[in-house]
Amino acid sequence: MALAEAPSPGLKAPRAAGSLRLAARQFPRHRAALIGLIVLALICLAAALAPLISPYDPTKIQLSAKLKPPSFEHWLGTDHFGRDVLSRLMYGGRTSLSVGLLVVGFAFAFGVPLGLASGYFGGRIDNLLMRLVDAFLTFPPLLLAVALVGLLGPDIQNVMLALGLVQAPVLARMVRGSTLSVREEVYVTAARALGAGPGRIVLSHLLRNVMSPIVVQLTIVFAAAVVAEASLSFLGFGTQPPQPSWGRDMSEARRFLGDAPWMFLAPTVAIALCVLSINFMGDGLRDALDPRAWRTRRSVTVSEKP
Amino acid sequence: MALLSVRNLYTSFATDRGVVRAVNGVSFDLEAGEVLGLVGESGSGKSVTALSIMRLVPEPPGRVTADSIAFDGVDLLRLSEAQVREMRGARMAMIFQDPMRSLNPVLTIGRQLTEVLRRHEGLSAAAARKRSIELLEMVGIPMAERRLAAYPHQFSGGMRQRVMIAIALACNPRLLIADEATTALDVTIQAQIIDLVKRLTRERGTSVIWISHDLGVVAGLCDRVNVMYAGTVVESGPIRELFHRPSHGYTLGLMDSTPRVDEQAGHRLRPIEGLPPNLIDPIPLCPFLPRCRVSVPACRERPPERRTFSERHWASCLADLAS
Amino acid sequence: MWRYLGRRLVQVPLVLLVVSLMTFLITRATPGDPVQIMLGMNTSPDAAAAMRADFNLDKPLPEQYALWIAKVATGDLGRSIRLNDRVTSLLAERLPISLQLAAAAMLFALCVSIPLGVIAALRRNTWIDYLCTGYTVMGFAVPNFGLALILIYVFSIKLDWLPITGIGSAEAAAGGWWAYISPFIVPAIALGTLQTAILTRLLRSSMIDVLSQDYMRTARAKGLLPSTVVIVHALKNAMIPFITMAAVQFGYMIGIQVTIEYIFAVPGMGSAVLNAVVNRDFPVIQGFTLVIAAFFLFANIVADMLYALFDPRIRY
Repeated sequence: MALAEAPSPGLKAPRAAGSLRLAARQFPRHRAALIGLIVLALICLAAALAPLISPYDPTKIQLSAKLKPPSFEHWLGTDHFGRDVLSRLMYGGRTSLSVGLLVVGFAFAFGVPLGLASGYFGGRIDNLLMRLVDAFLTFPPLLLAVALVGLLGPDIQNVMLALGLVQAPVLARMVRGSTLSVREEVYVTAARALGAGPGRIVLSHLLRNVMSPIVVQLTIVFAAAVVAEASLSFLGFGTQPPQPSWGRDMSEARRFLGDAPWMFLAPTVAIALCVLSINFMGDGLRDALDPRAWRTRRSVTVSEKP
Repeated sequence: MALLSVRNLYTSFATDRGVVRAVNGVSFDLEAGEVLGLVGESGSGKSVTALSIMRLVPEPPGRVTADSIAFDGVDLLRLSEAQVREMRGARMAMIFQDPMRSLNPVLTIGRQLTEVLRRHEGLSAAAARKRSIELLEMVGIPMAERRLAAYPHQFSGGMRQRVMIAIALACNPRLLIADEATTALDVTIQAQIIDLVKRLTRERGTSVIWISHDLGVVAGLCDRVNVMYAGTVVESGPIRELFHRPSHGYTLGLMDSTPRVDEQAGHRLRPIEGLPPNLIDPIPLCPFLPRCRVSVPACRERPPERRTFSERHWASCLADLAS
Repeated sequence: MWRYLGRRLVQVPLVLLVVSLMTFLITRATPGDPVQIMLGMNTSPDAAAAMRADFNLDKPLPEQYALWIAKVATGDLGRSIRLNDRVTSLLAERLPISLQLAAAAMLFALCVSIPLGVIAALRRNTWIDYLCTGYTVMGFAVPNFGLALILIYVFSIKLDWLPITGIGSAEAAAGGWWAYISPFIVPAIALGTLQTAILTRLLRSSMIDVLSQDYMRTARAKGLLPSTVVIVHALKNAMIPFITMAAVQFGYMIGIQVTIEYIFAVPGMGSAVLNAVVNRDFPVIQGFTLVIAAFFLFANIVADMLYALFDPRIRY
């Protein structure tokens, strides 16, 4: 049965020009992605407005109220110093999310030019850069980050630098792959024939076409950075006390596992929610940016052959 | 009594856009030893008819209903899946269009042949192996013994289709359904495969349903043809009568668009214009009407009715094409 | 195939050379002096100088590297500054434990992902499929140390079924098979859940892909039993990418154990690197990262070999 033969809107959509606008219209139809976006927005808002809306001072010690379970006064309970878990969660989110964002920025700023250069120029430059990337990817990412932060000193700037260094090669390799495939496409050749210089070709044609996989990859980088920051802080290589941090607080909660499970559950759920919403958003973005996916979602499920 | 008797077969698929009625009330008989052609373009319901008979339509999303699909006196629709499974590959077998993709790439040819023998004939490994070698030799594969250990990708397309035929005929089925079995092959290979099927089925008295969009292939092989369009049989008849006197606008269109060996120079091929209808919305009038070159005013007023030209030749068409 | 394997194996030392150079540069370019950390602030300059000389730390950097790599080529990874022990003997203690934990985690991942992936693909869009999707989504989202805490809370504290620590301890070694195995269970689940999610999702999608192939219809048209159709015809195809991915993931495992080792006090590779980083124990950092990288590279080669082994169409 040839049921999918009727032309669908996705087929007619121009791939490059205006595709972001089309994608923007497509995105909200992906329900999970929309929920992801809303949840992430709420988390970001709670973190950003923490100084205004957090019920308590996250570092204020009140030993009379230590290890209290969730109650009306302390929605998520208190920790071993009587500090409000919810407030710490909101402030901790500031660290996690800003690390995530900066790592994304770092990975983009280093990974994309490297990948573009490698893919576009090819030859020896490509070989050199990619061997370097290979070597980087041979290290387990977390261990590399631990080593970097451990050696540079446990400090939030170093965490960002380390995570950025870990993520940039991943992005570079991906951008290189996309660039290679786009480079050979006819219009690049055409543009070259019309006398456009290499810089122009790279920027106007390649970047626009490799943009959608980059955007999707950046959501993955963001999620990975949030988890990695928490892992580093958990191991004692990130934020230092009394700064609130999801990973750090979980590490401290280990000592009160049986007495105050809310202490480790709250940050765990926060991290999971964060990663979950980013992943959902990434899936939605991938579908929205890929015209082929528009078709499959609403077309036929029967797979009989003609 | 006919070997296979299909009465009012309806097969539909639930899709996101609505229910697609792929087969709409198909009825026909197939005698023992007869070779029946099913002809029509992509989406006309030929393959789905065949899959419905084999009970291979996935349900859901598919849905198969019929007054009866009687095979050797047994209504296949009343059998359990387990009972049908006993018949598939043993008493009725099927070969598919694309020999490149119809064989499992990670199993040896030997395994794919012997498993059907061991399953249905209860042969021992050694006996199945011996029989497999005979079968491969029968379908014209040289050095059969050594080929058992080979994988499908080491065979050419024609060779793979020979293997498929060997698998299909392994248990001497009463019915063989060939679904576009030669479409993916070179013309010379096509002829060899057709000859092979013709010879082997004639020797064994196997009934064949040969599905093709190519009237030329069907003409050389079949005793009788069903022409299908939009899920229905629009014309049916013995091959000579049908070619001599095509009686449906669609059959006529098919013939005009098929090159013929015996045709005079200067004869021009005429493709059928337009697209087949979507099968979601009900079609009250003749489904071929929008594309028909020979329609008459009556076609726009009432549904087509069956006109009979001889004992076995009929067409659902209002236009009189005899002139 | 053998020539391809040979080519790949030849590349390993080259990549490892780059890796070793990178670790060397990272350790030397960052602040912190191992000798000072080791001896403390108030030691005599002479003692510090003697120790520096002992570990070649007083030589110019290129010479330090050359001396080290020359020894590595003979199988000698040097001595730990901190522990006054050979890096190789430290490795002999730590590597088996890390491998056992990785193997236990992989075993868990395989035992869950194979049935779950297959059933989810066969029963698409039913509750079991949604359960599978939910499990994989959570597996991706919950960080392994968070999961570890949850598991400890449930199985060790509330239910008191399983011990938290004890991997590699003397009691575990002396106490019979259950005493040996039980401390592995919770860490292995915490460590293996991400791999379970990755593998389940992969198997489900490759299984769905295989089920829609023409040869599956052929298999059904042959009247084979459903078990044969699924296990022999579908699974044999769907397992090819799965096995490859499992091998790759196993290669990753040792490197991602750090947090788990930290929580469960496992004397493995990760915690050794962690301590070495804190103490600027350069020979340990260099030696261990080299081994971890080598393990990763070999796992990738094994993955490629498995691919060729299981897919008759692939010939290198």
